[in-house]
Amino acid sequence: MSAAVSNFPIIAIITFFLGAFLIALIGRLNKVLRNVLVFISVTVPLVLMCLLIKPVMTDGQIVAYWMGNWAPVSDWAIGIGIEVDALGLFFGLIVTLAAFVSALYSFTYMNRDDSLENYYTLFLMLSGALLGLTQSGDLFNIFVMIEIMTMTIVALTAFRVDYDGALEGGLKYMVVGSIGSTCLLVGIAMTYRQLHTLNLAQIASKLPGNMNAVTIAAFAFLLVGFITKASLFPFHPIEADAQTVAPASISLMISGVITKCGVYGLIRVCYNLFQNIDAPSVEILITGFGALSCFICVTMAFNQHNFKRLLAFHSISQVGYVIAAAGLGTALGLNAGLYHAMNHLLFKGLLFLCAGAVEYAAGTLDLDRLGGLSKKMPKTCALFLIGAASISGLPPFNGFASKWLIYQASFEKGVSSGNFYFVVICVICLISSVLTLASFVKVSQSVFFGQLNPEFEDTKEVPAAMRIPMWILAVLCIVTGLFPNQVMKYVTGPAANAAINVGTYIDTMLGQNTAAEYGIASQATTEIGKIGIWSPVSWLLLLLIITCAVCLVSVIEDPKKTTEEERFEYNKSKGRIAKFSRDGFKAAGKELPEAENAPAEEYDKPGHHRNPVLSGSTMTFTGERDPKYEVFFSGEMPEYSQVGGSDLFWGFKHSWRRYFSYWRKWHSGIVNDYVLYGVAALAFVLLYAVLFV
Amino acid sequence: MILENFVASFFLIALGLYCMATKKNLIKILIGMGLCDYGANLLIVSVGFNPGGTAPIFTISELSRDSFFVDPVPQALTLTSIVIGACTTAMVLGLVIRIKAKYGTLDSTKIRKLRG
Repeated sequence: MSAAVSNFPIIAIITFFLGAFLIALIGRLNKVLRNVLVFISVTVPLVLMCLLIKPVMTDGQIVAYWMGNWAPVSDWAIGIGIEVDALGLFFGLIVTLAAFVSALYSFTYMNRDDSLENYYTLFLMLSGALLGLTQSGDLFNIFVMIEIMTMTIVALTAFRVDYDGALEGGLKYMVVGSIGSTCLLVGIAMTYRQLHTLNLAQIASKLPGNMNAVTIAAFAFLLVGFITKASLFPFHPIEADAQTVAPASISLMISGVITKCGVYGLIRVCYNLFQNIDAPSVEILITGFGALSCFICVTMAFNQHNFKRLLAFHSISQVGYVIAAAGLGTALGLNAGLYHAMNHLLFKGLLFLCAGAVEYAAGTLDLDRLGGLSKKMPKTCALFLIGAASISGLPPFNGFASKWLIYQASFEKGVSSGNFYFVVICVICLISSVLTLASFVKVSQSVFFGQLNPEFEDTKEVPAAMRIPMWILAVLCIVTGLFPNQVMKYVTGPAANAAINVGTYIDTMLGQNTAAEYGIASQATTEIGKIGIWSPVSWLLLLLIITCAVCLVSVIEDPKKTTEEERFEYNKSKGRIAKFSRDGFKAAGKELPEAENAPAEEYDKPGHHRNPVLSGSTMTFTGERDPKYEVFFSGEMPEYSQVGGSDLFWGFKHSWRRYFSYWRKWHSGIVNDYVLYGVAALAFVLLYAVLFV
Repeated sequence: MILENFVASFFLIALGLYCMATKKNLIKILIGMGLCDYGANLLIVSVGFNPGGTAPIFTISELSRDSFFVDPVPQALTLTSIVIGACTTAMVLGLVIRIKAKYGTLDSTKIRKLRG
């Protein structure tokens, strides 16, 4: 490994923090200078992370850097290390990509807010903390980074202080999040008491031989800490609140990255530090948490009337998928989980940015008021449909590939272990996917399709600068969906292998053969067997052919078809429309349906005027379609009759009303209740760990 | 003596969690968060304690094989964690002031615009 490469992670982290402090100093002076600084500080880490792909992902190296050159002395880590293996790099790439896209989007999206230098300072500190968390090789450093992350995300959530509920969302995140922080701290203290080290590699080498009641309790505390940060059930209400009220660019960070850091922590703790993911009790616990969040949050999303709150519940549901897959403990399961974690950033980020665009253009996120925006914002609508198809798992988008892998992994696990529980997990995941699709049908209907609310008549498409980051995510959604085998080979495969092969990690950090001394066997690289994803390229071709056929059929015009205008003139020439007044329209409207069968030749009669100027009348004829002449509205004044978001699945909601009202009461909005759920979860995990692990 | 410290620290954490779960006043919730923090800090600093050890402050020449001192790493960790706790408190207090101005109350059962 060349010396330069080992400096890349620390330079990337420092660039974020340096940018944050520089902007705090000089961001007030010049707007352009500030934006240039932000752009540089988000681009440099992304480039550095991409440069690390080749040595880490492809060549399988582990980049190590000891702060202040305090290298280990006789197998004992005395300094703070930055250790980047393929798993850390995978999450580092997620962080830097999200920061890049979010900053690019903020330049336009946030331009109506003031004191933006504070926003960008906090934003860059958040990104730096997240990147530091994924690259750090020291347990206490991870805790410090998580605390910086919590602090900045609360400030950013409440950044628009006048926004309804922004302060409340921030406060709840802080209070309930502090349970997680305390649990992490206690877990770290207990681990230190047993092993007298904080270095991840050293903990990994010493822990498996030292399992006792204290380390098991430490495991439970660390688990609850990271579950809080991943905001799984029952910690999810705070996450939903925060994502609802935060600016859309920050909602992307919360849903796409902060929950992923919890996932990263869980994977590190279970696969690397304690290496007890193979124990059936741990698998059952973690997949249970995942499946529960997956199902409950997707049903909660049905009830929502706020665009972003609905997306927030879906976001937690998708993280539930990731945890359920990663908790299976198999190579395929971890692969599927990481694949879905990446996809979740791409499609959920895209959807949040679309929600931000709708809010920017229309000024509201209320699903009951919005509607028909596809006419006004066709480009945003197209992007939204890509995101919605991805999250619902339609081929050939990326959600299909990763969800397929999750089903396959959980089913295979159920078959190979003979435990029916994992088959149930698979079925829950399948049902949740169906409900996701239904939910996104509802969103697209009540935001982009249907009738346009007259209130939003002068809505305009968002500027191109806002659509560029959305297109980046959309293109990535399609690319990762079209080439699942390549993604698994070059991106998620190495990351999953790095998580499973702890021995290599320990050897790189503490010198050769350290792992063998402690009795940790180096596992061979696991090859994934047959993947059941159908070839997405042929699916795409089939889809294209069908689309072309449908287009062709609809383009071939029926020769007898007459336009409204022609029908109008026909009636006029027959004398059916006597007077061009409002009353006259009504009278004429009743007779219009008869004109349906009028022969086309009538129109070509000589002396027939095609475009008369209706002089002397009270209304001028503009040639636009007027709903008054349509069959169903004949003679009536056109009315706004959009099918609201809550009406679309009313039958389903009615039959499940007891279930829905129970969970509505459960999400009471009172912060004490949320703390109580958290404490109950902590007690449960502690008890479970002491009894079964 | 160490055992008492551990018991006291877990008691503090439990007390803090109880306070957060039952008290309706936002300031009292904040005090509960503080108690959790103090419990965790007490735990860390006790973890590094060696009975009879001296303070871990030496120059290189003073350090010998048989010098016996308490573990300095947890003390550094505790300092860091105290600073983080102070930041948390300041942050929550700032939010509480804003919430009081906007909602006109500190009662957590009335601050529930986001629900369902």
